[in-house]
Amino acid sequence: MSVKTLLIGLDGATFDVLDPLMDQGVMPFLKSFLAKGARARLRTIVPPLTPPAWTSLMTGRTPGQHGVFDFFRMEPGAGHHIRFFNSNDVQCDTIWSLASGQGLRVTSLNYPAMFPAPKVSGHVVPGWIPWKQLRLACWPDGLLDRLKGVPGFNQRELAMDIKLEEKATEGCSNREEYGPWIELHIRREQNWFEILKYLVREDPSELTAVLFDGVDKLQHLCWRFLRPEDATPLTSDWEFEVRELCLKYFRRLDGLLEQMCELVGPRATVLMASDHGFGPTRDIFHINAWLEQHGYLAWAGDAASRDTEGAVLGVGQVARHTFLMDWSRTKAFATTPTSNGIRIAINHDGNSPGIAPSEYPAFRQRLADELRDFRDPKNGERVVTEVWTRDEVFSGPHSEAGPDLTLILRDGGLVSILPSPHVLSSRPSVGGAHRPLGVFAANGPGIKTSDAGELSILDIAPTVLHSLGLPVPKEMQGAVAERIYDPQFLELHPVRRAAAPSPYRQRTENNGSAAAPMEDEEVVLDRLRELGYIE
Amino acid sequence: MKAPRTEILEYVLRTIEDLSQDWDYTREVGPQTLLFRELGMESLDVVVLGTAIQEHYQFQMPFAELLADVGQRASHDLSISELVDFVDLHLNANVPTAGTGIGHG
Repeated sequence: MSVKTLLIGLDGATFDVLDPLMDQGVMPFLKSFLAKGARARLRTIVPPLTPPAWTSLMTGRTPGQHGVFDFFRMEPGAGHHIRFFNSNDVQCDTIWSLASGQGLRVTSLNYPAMFPAPKVSGHVVPGWIPWKQLRLACWPDGLLDRLKGVPGFNQRELAMDIKLEEKATEGCSNREEYGPWIELHIRREQNWFEILKYLVREDPSELTAVLFDGVDKLQHLCWRFLRPEDATPLTSDWEFEVRELCLKYFRRLDGLLEQMCELVGPRATVLMASDHGFGPTRDIFHINAWLEQHGYLAWAGDAASRDTEGAVLGVGQVARHTFLMDWSRTKAFATTPTSNGIRIAINHDGNSPGIAPSEYPAFRQRLADELRDFRDPKNGERVVTEVWTRDEVFSGPHSEAGPDLTLILRDGGLVSILPSPHVLSSRPSVGGAHRPLGVFAANGPGIKTSDAGELSILDIAPTVLHSLGLPVPKEMQGAVAERIYDPQFLELHPVRRAAAPSPYRQRTENNGSAAAPMEDEEVVLDRLRELGYIE
Repeated sequence: MKAPRTEILEYVLRTIEDLSQDWDYTREVGPQTLLFRELGMESLDVVVLGTAIQEHYQFQMPFAELLADVGQRASHDLSISELVDFVDLHLNANVPTAGTGIGHG
């Protein structure tokens, strides 16, 4: 058996960074890969956020269809508890389950929403798992012990090690900590590559996939070094050293891409994709402060004056929001700073706080209009450029789990959920934030040299299945990226549409999905802090 | 899937012993071992462990509320025995999700 399709995830990759790096000779392999094959900008879903976007890539469906909207999920009931996302939130088939269900082997490395791991034929090492629990997360049983024999295997660095990462990132304004932090991510990508190499050589799968997430992290924290033209020119030796380390990361990544392509050989289809793009961010829009000023939200007790411990966006306050808000007087609120979503409290039973169901449409419209009208007092610019309703962007059987409104800010940044005397302020320095347009690149049998313009992230799952010779389920909202193929190849290998092989069944059947608990998750918050969601 | 408390305890102990071989943890793990202070777990470790327990028993339990309770305790910690009590209570008594049934220490 050999690898038929290699899917390489580059979390947050954007041609705004990659094109200059290729021009400067930092990524010569990627340059040749694109020159020989197909490239396209890849439009992601709303919101352009890691868990829902990768889930859309893996399912070919939008969040309202697949059920993942954010890192966090609000539990039903009056408790306002929030928990961390997991694979049981994914309510439809994935490329892993579809391929495995049709007799192919799959290897999935470091993809999110993969724990608890699906019991596919092949291997799963989920992403977003703390290193101490990695044994619980790997599939099949015994895989971790096999991986321990891989050269350079380092469990602490491979998966999440909060203490290690915290050490590298805590107070990254401290110049000495940038270097170790970037070097950690260089080693981590190497670690994932070595695992992939081992499995491809020793126990290959037709569908093999790995996700490199350091791209996203570096761009969050080091945007001003990667693209100083978006911030201020680099002047000090230290700034140039940090930039050089960032280039080292991408140079090494380029080397790994080359080695992986050599490993699977020219008969394999190689697809590269990101979950979203990236760009600079300068603003901090304190959404809950805005809601409070407009009479939609009330803080509990002294919550408005509490020390936020240096946090900017308030990821560290996510689990505490239950205690920070006065729910009896709150009609609209933002629970997380990661998805820019606003929830509206509805008094469904006539005895709860919130607005009456009959008032909901008008209330939501008024709120959306007022948000669009909010302007930067310095220059009169609109701060909120788009306000999407749930119906507009999350249609589907699971839309109710999504926020009522989703905001797009003028600089593509994230909201702050913290109490604040100011509604709008500036970041201490330019950071990186997600954008709708990511990257796609492909090489392999039948793929022609082309610039395919723009594709949808929903097209990746159908394209993966087609490259494996499998039919595309009718339920998928995307389509095979036919324009990347030579027409003669498509004639010989036509796209096949089929009903899903079997009705999707959740693994936990007796009482609904087995939900992961969520609480005061300092660990998750530290992780997100590291990602640059907070300063 | 219902299970007697002794079996739950055995399962949780075995799971943590399996995990601890990757941590260079050499001390004995028992019912009174504390997850945070002694095993050095972080919140997300407990989140993942809780998900695994739910997956094993194919039963949803209010771990979010349990951990919120732990956060309000003076000790800010949870023993394996208390974790097992929590699982036993919900798995075998069908306690509604409101309330964890575990008192504050």
